[in-house]
This record gives sequence, C-alpha cells and structure tokens, in this order.
Amino acid sequence: MREEVMAILTEIRKDVDFENETKLIDDSILASLDIVAIVGEFNDTFDVEISVEDLIPENFNSVDAMVALIESAQE
Amino acid sequence: MAFTSLYFLIFAAVTVGVYYIIPSGFRWIWLLIASYAFYLLSSPATFIFLLLTTATTFLGGLYIGGVNRSHKAYMDAHKQEMSREEKKAAKAASQSKKKRMTALILVLDFGVLAVLKYFRYYLQAAGIFDTGELLIPLGISFYTFQSAAYIFDLYRNKIEPDRNIAKFALFTSFFPQIIQGPISRYDQLAGQLYEGHRFEYENLTHGAQLILWGFFKKLIIADRAAVLVNEVYGNYTEYTGGVVFIGVLFYMIQIYADFSGGIDIARGVARCMGIRMTHNFLRPYFAHDLSEFWNRWHISLSHWCRDYIFYPVAMSKFFGKAGKSLRSVLGDRVGKLFPVIIAQYCTFLTIGMWHGAEFKYIAFGLYNGTVIVLGLLLEPVLKKMTGAITGALHIEKQGRLWQGFRIVRTFFVVLAGRVFPKAVSFTAAVSMFFSMFVPNRGTPFMETVLSLGLTGADYLIIAGGCAVWFIISFCEERYAAAAGTGGIAAGAEAVRNRLDEKPLAVRWALLLAAFAFVLTFGIYGPGYDAAAFIYRGF
Repeated sequence: MREEVMAILTEIRKDVDFENETKLIDDSILASLDIVAIVGEFNDTFDVEISVEDLIPENFNSVDAMVALIESAQE
Repeated sequence: MAFTSLYFLIFAAVTVGVYYIIPSGFRWIWLLIASYAFYLLSSPATFIFLLLTTATTFLGGLYIGGVNRSHKAYMDAHKQEMSREEKKAAKAASQSKKKRMTALILVLDFGVLAVLKYFRYYLQAAGIFDTGELLIPLGISFYTFQSAAYIFDLYRNKIEPDRNIAKFALFTSFFPQIIQGPISRYDQLAGQLYEGHRFEYENLTHGAQLILWGFFKKLIIADRAAVLVNEVYGNYTEYTGGVVFIGVLFYMIQIYADFSGGIDIARGVARCMGIRMTHNFLRPYFAHDLSEFWNRWHISLSHWCRDYIFYPVAMSKFFGKAGKSLRSVLGDRVGKLFPVIIAQYCTFLTIGMWHGAEFKYIAFGLYNGTVIVLGLLLEPVLKKMTGAITGALHIEKQGRLWQGFRIVRTFFVVLAGRVFPKAVSFTAAVSMFFSMFVPNRGTPFMETVLSLGLTGADYLIIAGGCAVWFIISFCEERYAAAAGTGGIAAGAEAVRNRLDEKPLAVRWALLLAAFAFVLTFGIYGPGYDAAAFIYRGF
C-alpha cells in the first residue's frame, strides 16, 4: 500500500520529498487544494471514506501517517 | 477602551503585575476578572450577548462531548463482535445526535451575530424589530467564530469539552483578543490561559517589544496614512489617476499597519503573561500568489474558513457527485475541480461577509474568489505562458527576478481588491477603480498629493517607517527561506531572537530609540483622538 500512496502523492506534488518530510502540514508544505486532491485519490483507490473529521495534521504530516489513516479507515 | 489609550496601557500593566503576584492556581480567575472588567468598561450594554454565547456554547459542548464519550465507551465494549455495517450504523447514530446539537448551537450563536450585525437595518426598515438602540457587541465576530470552532472541533472529536464554565468564559472573553482577534482554537489557547505561567524575563521583554512594535505600526504609519486614505476615499469623485492610486496604495499600508499593529499589541500583552497567541500575519505582501496571500493575511480567519467551510464543501459527497456528473459536460479537469471551485467561492463569500453585509464586502470576497478560481481553471495555460516568457527572457523560474515579479504582481492583484471594502459603496468602488486609469486632471499631481492632508514631513515619516518595517520583514523572510523547515512561520521571531543575542546596552539603546520614535512621531495625545482600529468595527 505504501508504494501506491507514494505514487499518488508524487503524482499530485512532484516537488515534495515525501520520503523524508514528516511535517507536511505543520510546515505548510501541502496546501488545502493538495489535501482535497489527495483525499479524493485515496477514497477512489482504496475504497475508503476519509472525511472532514479525519483532516487533522497528525494524519497528513507524513507518508506513514497517511498509510495508517487509510488502514484505520479500511477497518 | 482603545488599545492605543493610556487607560489600556495602565489596565494591561496592572493585569500583568497582579497576574504574577497572586498564586499560580488563581491566575486564570484573575484573567477572567480582568477580561470581564475590560468588556464592561468598553461595551457594558452588550455584555449580555457575550454571556449568552458563552453559556449556550458551553452547554452544547458538554452535550456533544457526552455523545463522543458514550460512543467511545460503547465501541470499546462491543467493537470485537460488531460487523462493519453495525459499526457504521453506531457511528451514524452518534453523528446524528451531535449534528442536531451542533446545528442548534450554531443557529443560536450565528443568529445573534446575524440579527445584530447583518439584518438590523433590514429588520428596522421593515418595522419588524426596533434595533435602533442596539449596539453591535464588541468583538462579536471574533468570539462567535471562536466559539463555533470549539463546537466544530468537539463535533469532530478533536478536543474534550471544557467542564468548568468559568474557565470556558475566559476562553471566549480573553481581553487582549476580544477586540480584533486572533480567532484562537481551543486546543491552542485554552490550556495556556488556565495554566498559571511562571515569571520569565524573556516573556516580558518579548511581549513589551511586540507591544512597542504594534504602537509603531499603528501610531506612526497607520494613523498617519489614514488622513490621506479618508480624504481620497471620502471625496473620490474629486480625484482621478495617480491620486486615486496613491489613496488605494496608502490604504494597503494603513490596513496592514493598523490590523497587524493591533494584533501585535494583543499578542504582546498575552506574551507578557507567558501566553503565546497564534500568528495572524506572516508578511503577507511577500506572497507569490493570491492563495498564498490568504495563507499569510488574517491567518486565523483564513484557516477558520479553510477548516470549517472549504474542506467540508470541497469534500462533500453532494458536490463530489455533481462534479462527476459534470465531467461529461465541462470536461474531466473542470469536473474534478468543481467541488473545489464551489468551496473557494463559499470561503471567500464568508470572508467578504465577515466584514459586513453590504454588497461592497460581498464584491471583495467574490473578487478574491474569482481570481483564485481563474488561476485554478487556467493553470495549464498559465504554466505554458510562464514557461514561454521565462524561456524567451532566459530567466530562471525559481530565480530572484521571476519570484520578485510574482510578489509585485500579487501585490497589485491584492491592491485592486482593496478598492472595495473601504469605498463608501460598491458603485463608488467601481468608479474609483476605473478612475485610476483616467489621467490626473487640473492641479498638478504633486500639488494635489501634498494637499491631501499630509505634509512633506508626514510622507517622509511614513516612508521611513515602512522602510524599517520592510527591512525587518525582509530579514524574517530570508530567515524563513534559510530555515528549511517551519515554513513561513519560522522567520516570525527571527529578528527578535537576533536582538536577544546583542549586548544589553545595544538592546536597550534600540528599544529606547524605538520608544522615543513612537513618542515623537506617533499621532496621539490630547486633542488628537487616535483613530479606532479598523477591525474593531468587525
């Protein structure tokens, strides 16, 4: 799953080093438009329902946090 | 009680002094007493509305928190034996209860705001309700939005409800922020307010520096620029061309100096007590595009709108489905962007209407929303154009020249929008906008500029003040870029931290020089009523 998440993220923001960044939201690296696009792709690709309630910085600060979010949404 | 009055300085000094004298466990009670005293001294007739919002939000919050807790307890006990559908049904039942209470509290809180701020004239005109004697409660937009954020965060299960109404009352009324924000979040501010902070010399000096810096912007730059701005906007039919442009340019300076100066004073007073309030401005005129500008300007309102309007609309199933069905008509790209476009307009209409109900404010919101939406829709074309221009001129896209051009371009895009909120009406704004392109008539330009209420010395003081401000902002911007992490917020205290590293004599010499500068060139004192802060009216 991590590879698929990485592919989605790099497709949306080619200029960001997703492997190493751990403060994507706290450091304002991802903008609100990116988040909307990322969530849309996650919902379509992984058949989950990530909602507004899940939009907290801790869930989007790093690739691993996003993978964990998708996994918990799949439960 | 205006921030720039001597009374406020005495009030703040006494509050800070007593704060550190009393035992730490009682400090929040002292802050509540001071905050309510401040409100009663400033706007006694509307105090009841603050109490009403505080009580309804507190009680609603307790209910929503209770629903969250019982849902969690139920899930913890039965999670293992439940199917996915049953889990979904339990969540939906809990959401439905929370939704009803959230809606009720929001209707009550925003209802008061709507009646007192927006519909009063219509209700009065229709003879339904005599609002003539009703004043707009001090800081109503700020404390209503802050309370709404608390309810939304509880609904989203991001925070635990406050169980002490007196403590919660402090959160909604904290005196430095009640007049013009920033609109703080519960998880960011409440804990700091309730905790009795130990005295730290650094907090006092940084707080005092922020207050002095706020006075510098407000009394030296904003109130001086206001003289010219009021003349041009108030008599707009008498001026054309460069004079109108100067009027709008000075309004750009005035609104930034006025609002950010007020925020600096508020943050400075809080900082003296060890309370760090959120940033509301991060060098907005260094933004490279309009979206970035709104991420740097009145940040607490922009982020409020992002979290509670933009995301819910952009991610709503309704607009998502509408976008999908529109893909066949409008194309894949536009269909995909459709929910985002609607969300942008909802966001900017809210930002516009936050200032008032008049059409000029709505136009201000629509203008900003439309520029950002056009940027989104035309992104591929604009990218090609950028590539072609930078290629033909042999300029690096990431180079200083091109990035500098983007900053200047954004400044002018913002400037064009600034015609609306200050103009006497929407038609006046449109007239002013077009008159900027009509050559100056009659009196020579320089002669007219010097007859707008400011002397040559005033222009020099404004220019000098802006130069100091620009240099500090530029240093912060460079520091933020060099820091790598922390984004634009990283540079916010860079200059102040550098100042700390200087010898004591240098620090004091600089501070005394700044203090003397404000005392000498500030517009204040007997016979001169320092202009009220612009955002106090919102």
